[in-house]
Amino acid sequence: MPPSDPLKHQLLRQAVRENVDTIRGLPPPPFRVGAQLRRGVIQAALLVALPTLGLLAYNPLSGSGPDRMTGVATRPVVLSLPVPKALEPMMASLGVRKLVLDPGHGGNDSGARAKGIWEKEITLGIARELRSLLKRAKYDVAMTRDSDGYVSLRRRAQLANQERGDLFVSIHVNSVPSKECHAVETYYLGPADDPRAEQLAGKENHESGYHLADFRRLLEGVYAHVRQAESRKLAQVVQHELVEILGDTNPAIRDKGVRSAPFLVLVATESPGILAEVSCLSNDEEAERLADTAYRRRIARALFNGIHAYAEARNRVATLGQAKGSQ
Amino acid sequence: MSKKTDVLHVGIDLGTSRSSISASNGGRHVVESYVGWPVDMVARRLVKKPILFGREALDNRPMLDLRRPLERGLIKEGSERDELAVRELLRHLISLAGGRDGQPIRAVVGVPAEALRVSRQNLRSAVKGVADALMIVSEPFAVSYGMDALLHTMIVDIGAGTTDFCVMRGRYPTEEDQRTLTNAGDSVDEQLMTLVRAKHPDAQFSIYMVRDWKEKWSFVGEPPGPVVVTVQKAARATPIDITGEMRRACESLVAPITETMADLLARVEPEYQERVRHNIILAGGGSQVPGLAAAMERVLADYGGGAVRVVEDPVFAGSNGSLAIALDASEGDWESLAG
Repeated sequence: MPPSDPLKHQLLRQAVRENVDTIRGLPPPPFRVGAQLRRGVIQAALLVALPTLGLLAYNPLSGSGPDRMTGVATRPVVLSLPVPKALEPMMASLGVRKLVLDPGHGGNDSGARAKGIWEKEITLGIARELRSLLKRAKYDVAMTRDSDGYVSLRRRAQLANQERGDLFVSIHVNSVPSKECHAVETYYLGPADDPRAEQLAGKENHESGYHLADFRRLLEGVYAHVRQAESRKLAQVVQHELVEILGDTNPAIRDKGVRSAPFLVLVATESPGILAEVSCLSNDEEAERLADTAYRRRIARALFNGIHAYAEARNRVATLGQAKGSQ
Repeated sequence: MSKKTDVLHVGIDLGTSRSSISASNGGRHVVESYVGWPVDMVARRLVKKPILFGREALDNRPMLDLRRPLERGLIKEGSERDELAVRELLRHLISLAGGRDGQPIRAVVGVPAEALRVSRQNLRSAVKGVADALMIVSEPFAVSYGMDALLHTMIVDIGAGTTDFCVMRGRYPTEEDQRTLTNAGDSVDEQLMTLVRAKHPDAQFSIYMVRDWKEKWSFVGEPPGPVVVTVQKAARATPIDITGEMRRACESLVAPITETMADLLARVEPEYQERVRHNIILAGGGSQVPGLAAAMERVLADYGGGAVRVVEDPVFAGSNGSLAIALDASEGDWESLAG
């Protein structure tokens, strides 16, 4: 018997609808709108949910603070005082103008290989395509590598910081033991929330160019909360676009969602950033697709759409913030 | 189409620490959220079961691959064993509800808000197949639905892995209406363990013992009496007084919770803030810590005053709310949720 209380009835309808959408594989409501509305909704969401600033303070009792480096990978984040405070929009009025793209691997570090192609070639191809899309949309773009050369993670982060990019986007292709993998996933900086993410971060952190002594200092950046919150938002939009655009031609694709993990290249960069695992090279079908330039272009387009939607929302916030500030 | 009376409706609170089920046939059951499989043939012979749940699993843990699948309020993605543990736990709860053979089951499962936010699809696939039709909702929503507290109310659900906050504003809660902290039961356990270890470095005790101490003697404010527990020191049973440590560990919840409440309150339309402030509902196992609600009200006095009430039945408040949702959903709703 449906509830007689109209409010209960309405909330029940919404709960059912959300579940039905999940069964259909649709993402949560903020990103589930028509193409024309999507941008506005993302803008509105960002306006309402501006980054909550404040540090996750080290709690000596919980032992989960940044100076316990083992804690980052294995322990839960224990939030302690001060709890993040909401900021006025104008205090976060920072737009997006410049991006640093980071094609994973390169040189001797070739990454995964399948069907005669290396991960380093795929990531560079996608990054170049993405660069041209971004430049057409009037963004400044820098790349951590533009040729098949080895660049350590340390150097990549240095380059990104020197370029003073507003966003950092690292592009990788997954490779897992399972041949059935069709996963697409996007990471942002934070403690790993499952052993697989931890393992993946370990793999991508290999040959970082960092020494152990650096590690502790680097991890202090893990909980820089503002960057994390913005990175998560960027990751959500990018992941949604990847799944939507790639899913049109690749129905097998599996949305592994947005995750956090302590990738060193994200720890050391100063801007909000993400690491996108855009496909899965260990799967034969995916490998064949990745060998096709048109499919790589599609990946670049999906990354562009996500970045652009995020940046437009961010720039809108910045404009409003400045207007409010000048009143 | 099944007649509603032929169907067993169940509401489940899938918690980090405890999971409960309320069924339309009147059944109410609670299980600690542990699932364990015997590690080898010997263990299997000893425990005489292929899988153990709750306290029984915990008591036999040396022989088991023991899982607490919703650690930190999330299903650990990528861990097939944890996903299986969630499924098995749900099946176990439903079996406890005692439906008749072949009776269709419709379930509403309340999960920590963070789990729903972070791994919605993953969660759905993990629980697929445990009932004929299934709906997943956030735990604070289930509590508020069950209590008819859907407008100008704040639910603070203090679980083991997380504390979930949800402001009910007459709409299905969005991300903006909710917050999650990991300051919760488990973080109190860890703090208590650290504090006791610091004071008694030679004492031997486990996190499970600490958890039991907290269940029995937690408090905020003035101690109701000395808290004396027994630990092992050089294989000798030794009583120690942990009153001060218990107080510090439990009181560590107060500041982050009240500040997060204030943060959420500040986002409510100003004309409704006072109503919400006076309509705060404390749910979950953590709500039972003596003195916690009063301590929160003392802090709220600085914000203009407020009232914090504790749910009457913290064990079943979530599952009862989920059952209410299950019973209110229409045939059409359930048909769309089948599979």
